[in-house]
Amino acid sequence: MNLKLRIWRQAGPAAAGRLVEYAADHVSPDMSFLEMLDVVNEGLTKKGEEAIAFDSDCREGICGTCSLVINGVPHGPDRGTTACQLHMRRFKDGDSVTIEPWRAAAFPVVKDLIVDRSAFDRIIAAGGYVSVNCGGAPDGNAIPIPKDVADLAMDSAACIGCGACVAACKNASAHLFMSAKISQFALLPQGHPERHRRVTAMIAQADGEGFGSCSNEGECQAVCPKEIPISNIARMTREYVKAALLAK
Amino acid sequence: MASRGGFLSTSVGTKLLIGVTGFLLFLYLLIHIGGNALIFFGPAVFNNYAYVMEQKNPLLPLIELALLAVFLIHAFKTVRMFLANQSARPVPYAMKKPAGTPSRKTLASSTMIVSGLWLLVFLIIHVKAFRFGPEYDWPAGGRDLYRQEMENLSNPLMVLFYILSMTVVGSHLFHGIASAVQSLGLDHPKWTPRLLFAGKVFAVIIAVGFMIIAAWVYLNQPGAGRVRV
Repeated sequence: MNLKLRIWRQAGPAAAGRLVEYAADHVSPDMSFLEMLDVVNEGLTKKGEEAIAFDSDCREGICGTCSLVINGVPHGPDRGTTACQLHMRRFKDGDSVTIEPWRAAAFPVVKDLIVDRSAFDRIIAAGGYVSVNCGGAPDGNAIPIPKDVADLAMDSAACIGCGACVAACKNASAHLFMSAKISQFALLPQGHPERHRRVTAMIAQADGEGFGSCSNEGECQAVCPKEIPISNIARMTREYVKAALLAK
Repeated sequence: MASRGGFLSTSVGTKLLIGVTGFLLFLYLLIHIGGNALIFFGPAVFNNYAYVMEQKNPLLPLIELALLAVFLIHAFKTVRMFLANQSARPVPYAMKKPAGTPSRKTLASSTMIVSGLWLLVFLIIHVKAFRFGPEYDWPAGGRDLYRQEMENLSNPLMVLFYILSMTVVGSHLFHGIASAVQSLGLDHPKWTPRLLFAGKVFAVIIAVGFMIIAAWVYLNQPGAGRVRV
């Protein structure tokens, strides 16, 4: 099938960008979305033009590197799917496809469709970890954790930090990302020693990075490739209140 | 950690403050519509209610001030948050579409700042007319609020403005009530869906209720020959 692409091209962080039209011809419905872009890029390279820069790594939906807003929806039209796992069979011959990078002040464009998501790394560095003393490996089941709690923590830990939540949010808020990271630790005993410090430090870092605040619309949970719900955000609020009341 | 003074100034603290004040305003509306509905029972019942509320209640000035404070905090914090959120995405998308279920995005949720600002203007007009408008004495004590309401809603354009504003109230509450619950950190697999639904039902009840009252007042004006002061 043949597609009309409108792709955001931007030479560098300071350069002005614009949407450029490309034709993607002879696209196989079995291709992934990124493979389709690879083929377009091969064509551009053969013509001596600069290839379209986009992020990708594992291409199996688990690393959180791909970051494309496809026809107005981060990661494209499929629920619980990263852009790399989106396949061209989802489109029809003659479709027009607009591809843009994540848009947020805290995610500046590096080039074309690539954005700098190091703000997320700094939020994690502010508190999204547990401190573990070195020594012999503890027994896996030394601390009993109810199965439902472990499952809930695992659901939160499924966050791959892709930033689609920020991209979808009208306020470019990082609350879903932060709340998933805070929840995975708040739910488990291993996360408790630092829980009060963690939530206040991570929220302060996110606010400082220039992410917006949350309007409870839940666009984030609709685009999240790991389908992380905004109940995590409610948990983060509870953690925040607890920290203010109980932190020493 | 952030100082106690900074607790309400972070993105989560702001949300908490907006949620608490918004929910209090919703509770106030429930009392307000309950009181207003007494107009159906005639001037004696309605004016007696006003008399008890205004004259027999030593806490009234305090309640009024608290309500004003809650309202001003809600408005000030939301406008400031809205402006800050604008700068969180300086370059807009060329194409942006709603993501669909399970998103809670609606026309109501997308226009909270517009409906909120409309209500700010509405409330200035509304409070000026009823709280600071011309007063008439009621023989049994207090003021003749019934007559005041009849006169305030005798102009069809004013009634239309009220009915339009009640649509805006309904829209604001349609997202607002459920949103406040989430902002307060309340979440439960069983209760959250019910609360979300209840919030929408309350929004419709409040909006339609006030509309019916405004329309009833307009349609039940005292005789056209009556001289207005």
